[in-house]
Amino acid sequence: MSARRSLILVVAVLVAAAAGLLSACGGSDESAQPAGSGSPVALPSPGGGGSVVLWHGYTDVERAATDVFVARYNATDPGFKVDAVFAGNNDYALQKLLTALAGGKAPDIAYQYGSSMANLATSPKVVDLSPIMAQTPSFDWNDFFPAERLATTVNGKVIGVPALVDNLALVYNKKLFDQASVAYPTKDWTWTDFRDAAKKLTDSGAKQFGWAYVNDGSEDTVWRFLALLWQANGDLLNADNTKSALDSPAGIKAMQLLYDMSVTDKSVYLDKGDGSYLNVFNSGKIAMLWTGPWDISSINADVQYGVEILPADVSHATIAGPDNYVVLDNGPQQVANAWAFIQWFCSPEVHLAYATATGHLPIRKSETELPAYKAYLAKYPADEVFVANLDNVTKARPNIPTYPKISAALGQAVQSVLLGRAQPEQAIQAASQQIDSILAAGQ
Amino acid sequence: MRVVQPRPPAALPPTGLTDLDLQSEVAVAARHRGPSPWHLFLVPMSLLMAFPFIWMVVTSVSTRAETRRFPPQLPHAIQWHTFVEAWTSAPFAQWLLNTTVVAVASVVGNVVLCSLAGYALARLRFIGSNVAFLLILATLMVPFQVVMIPTLLIVRGFGLVDTLGALIVPNLVTPFGIFLLRQFFKTLPVEIEEAARIDGASRLGTLVKIVLPQMKAPLATVAIMTLLWRWNDFLWPLIVITSPDKMTLPLGLATFQGAHSINLPLLMAGTLMSQLPMLVVFVVAQRWFVQSLASSGIKG
Amino acid sequence: MGAPGAGLDVVGESSARRASRRERLLASENLAGWAFTSPAMLLVAVFGLAPIIWSVVLSFQRNNLLSGGTWIGFKNYERLMQDPLFAHSVRLTVLYTALFVPISIALALLCAIALNRKLRFIRLYRTAIFLPVVASTVAEAILFNWLLDPYFGIVNYALVKLGIPAQGFFQSPSQALYAIVAMTVWGWLGFCVIIYLAALQGIPKELVEAAAIDGATRWRIFRRVELPLLGPTTLFLVIYLSINSLQLFDEIYVTTRGGPLNATLVVVYYLYQQAFQFFEAGYATAIAYVLFLGILILTIAQLLIGRRFVHYRS
Repeated sequence: MSARRSLILVVAVLVAAAAGLLSACGGSDESAQPAGSGSPVALPSPGGGGSVVLWHGYTDVERAATDVFVARYNATDPGFKVDAVFAGNNDYALQKLLTALAGGKAPDIAYQYGSSMANLATSPKVVDLSPIMAQTPSFDWNDFFPAERLATTVNGKVIGVPALVDNLALVYNKKLFDQASVAYPTKDWTWTDFRDAAKKLTDSGAKQFGWAYVNDGSEDTVWRFLALLWQANGDLLNADNTKSALDSPAGIKAMQLLYDMSVTDKSVYLDKGDGSYLNVFNSGKIAMLWTGPWDISSINADVQYGVEILPADVSHATIAGPDNYVVLDNGPQQVANAWAFIQWFCSPEVHLAYATATGHLPIRKSETELPAYKAYLAKYPADEVFVANLDNVTKARPNIPTYPKISAALGQAVQSVLLGRAQPEQAIQAASQQIDSILAAGQ
Repeated sequence: MRVVQPRPPAALPPTGLTDLDLQSEVAVAARHRGPSPWHLFLVPMSLLMAFPFIWMVVTSVSTRAETRRFPPQLPHAIQWHTFVEAWTSAPFAQWLLNTTVVAVASVVGNVVLCSLAGYALARLRFIGSNVAFLLILATLMVPFQVVMIPTLLIVRGFGLVDTLGALIVPNLVTPFGIFLLRQFFKTLPVEIEEAARIDGASRLGTLVKIVLPQMKAPLATVAIMTLLWRWNDFLWPLIVITSPDKMTLPLGLATFQGAHSINLPLLMAGTLMSQLPMLVVFVVAQRWFVQSLASSGIKG
Repeated sequence: MGAPGAGLDVVGESSARRASRRERLLASENLAGWAFTSPAMLLVAVFGLAPIIWSVVLSFQRNNLLSGGTWIGFKNYERLMQDPLFAHSVRLTVLYTALFVPISIALALLCAIALNRKLRFIRLYRTAIFLPVVASTVAEAILFNWLLDPYFGIVNYALVKLGIPAQGFFQSPSQALYAIVAMTVWGWLGFCVIIYLAALQGIPKELVEAAAIDGATRWRIFRRVELPLLGPTTLFLVIYLSINSLQLFDEIYVTTRGGPLNATLVVVYYLYQQAFQFFEAGYATAIAYVLFLGILILTIAQLLIGRRFVHYRS
């Protein structure tokens, strides 16, 4: 058979098969059935002898702690078993969950990044917890920090409980400050103080940098910029998330600071997104980081560091990046069991114990008032600043499905300014226009 | 372009030489007088290739604090305990067993089924052979992320989810194996097979007794690459396996790698231990990459 | 595909008997052909082709993999044709392939020739060359990130000593793709080398010896005897490497993630972003099928060219 006839035959086979499938499945339009928020839910009592599957991406210390606490819960004989399963971390967690949801067998609880919340909310299998919370006032949803509640609420539905809350603060190397005779950062630091210090702490001959910034164009790049934007009292989107508010004096000012420090002063170590900034910090080559509690445990013992809140322009605003446990609907008994476990796991005493084992921040305000809190702070002194800093988290990223695209556009803008390839005003305007077209296209 | 016709068998005794340097025995003697200049190329090349592996070894015997510095430095003391820790802190033996079962089954399946298919595509003229070949190649042309959901649904339909079968069955043949063997089958002179067929041998018999013995190196290649790919496969096992006792090595090693912190020495120790069997296989399999003296008499 | 039937004519048989004998042989060849290939074809059809055809449906939908799909016909494909970022990713991917494939093949051939000899330590050299194939992508990425770090990397350290200014490599939009080429050539070399080694083993020594005795120089022997005999293998590598490099993803995922500033945004990475960051699985699948068509056409072209220029010994 000639090659051409073979090609025609192949294409014909594929088209025929596709056509067959199209006619069978074409036009299927399963629109999402939103779980009615506010309507009372009749959940059975927990029990039934089954198992609740919890998917997480914890490793190392966190994983050990999770296993211990799950075992502790199972030992209380709740009438069912909780199974904590490692299901990949980073992007893999989302891929695995999406595949499982599409392929039919999802877990009961899944740890997911906050950035996925808006899109996960569109799934009919994700449980809206607000009516359930309304029926369990002892859960005390308002006890959770506002940043977390904002991050898990999408269109009035609460689709997760916080697994982890954090925020950005200033971590600095005391020895480098001493060597350069620069005063340590304080609560009253302004952008000018920050920039000046970074300049004095930069020594290009010794390859020492005053500051580090994650420059891979991802959300890691964007969320640090958002902290700057909010410090200048700017906003990313308008109040009802329909238009960009980026193109403003605040936006340009924030971008200008990045330009000044990275391109003019050359005081910024640009990290590729692989976390090498922390290794360089450990080697005493970076003076200041804007980072969160997760990095503290990786700071080497021979580095004397301090933690302070971020410098201010108009305010000391910072940003939080909560991750959540999402509950999936595998039937009322499963949901009831999952909710029972979550109530226990997120209760103040239990969570404080978990935080003491892992170094996580408390997720409830009431945890800071427990007697065991002192022991927690003694073990993780840096966390005192991070917890106080939670009060500086007054805004959250827009919880809309198009946020990932908006973030990508903004990430490109920030990257181009840091690399000196665009002027701040130009970058802000371009990003703002892109954001408007993304919002217009919708999801 | 004319290809030089081979001389009839048994006319030339095997020379025992495996390289290009064929001028005469004088050249042979000259080579034995000093090291070959090829070393000048091979040594730097090998160092370049081996460098990351060496770094992995160095990292695996460092402390965590030492690996959290940049640029990396040599460890002060050798931390052999990381290997023990990697083995004991996790069900390493279980992962190793699972991975071995999956890999060996896939290798056997591939060697057998790809030989059959590759031979047919290379030698037999049958209706639809071109289409079949193209369809086989076509499955290589779509990235896995696109088809992983339908693949999961199909595997679920067979009841194989969360079993080692899910890792074995879809990989019992690979287009790579079929394509590679087809090419190599076509490089063999067809006269011997025809002679065998005239003598009454079945096609299968010809394949197994006459042809395959000449295909040691390509078959070893298919075996090695199949082993390697099944051994290091991460995404598909992640999607389809949930029970910890069915995890394979890459999946298991991922538990050493956190979202924000990575236990580098442990991860490197674990990775080295997991890659060791394959290195051993490769070193052993090299015997099939050396022309055996006996077979040179049979070749045309 | 050869035509063995012709060679089995037995002198003296009448042409009629020869014709029916040929018919019977051809019929049995069809049977044998399908018998031999059916196990493989069955597996390929169920686990390879079926998922591909199934996903085609997705490309005609707007689907975030969470809330079911909405039928939008060819809109995804129309959008693709006007998407500047997609066009950019195609250019990058083609450039990458055009660099990666020839360099890999040339370098692998050179290494295979070097390794196809009876030298001391040859087993050690061969294992060394194969090591990158065995090293995990994570280790590879960590290492290359370190080697090519703009501030602290060894390569820049050496360059600066030689008087050349430090380069951005993975951090430089103009250099990142070339750095990826270097990293992937390094990573795939072992694979290509063992295939060429296997092929070199299959070259009968007698041919080379005969040419040498006829007075040909080493280079001529290589060009006229060995290189043509390596044709089928080279064709295999060209096709196989092209198919893989047009789908480059893993190395990008662990290093540059499509950046900086989309300098390494190859097609599959763009597709992955669409599906798993932007929740646009329908659009992503459309991208995949356009890529598929491109690869299919290229492969067929390569096979046809191969048919003309590659000589098999049957």
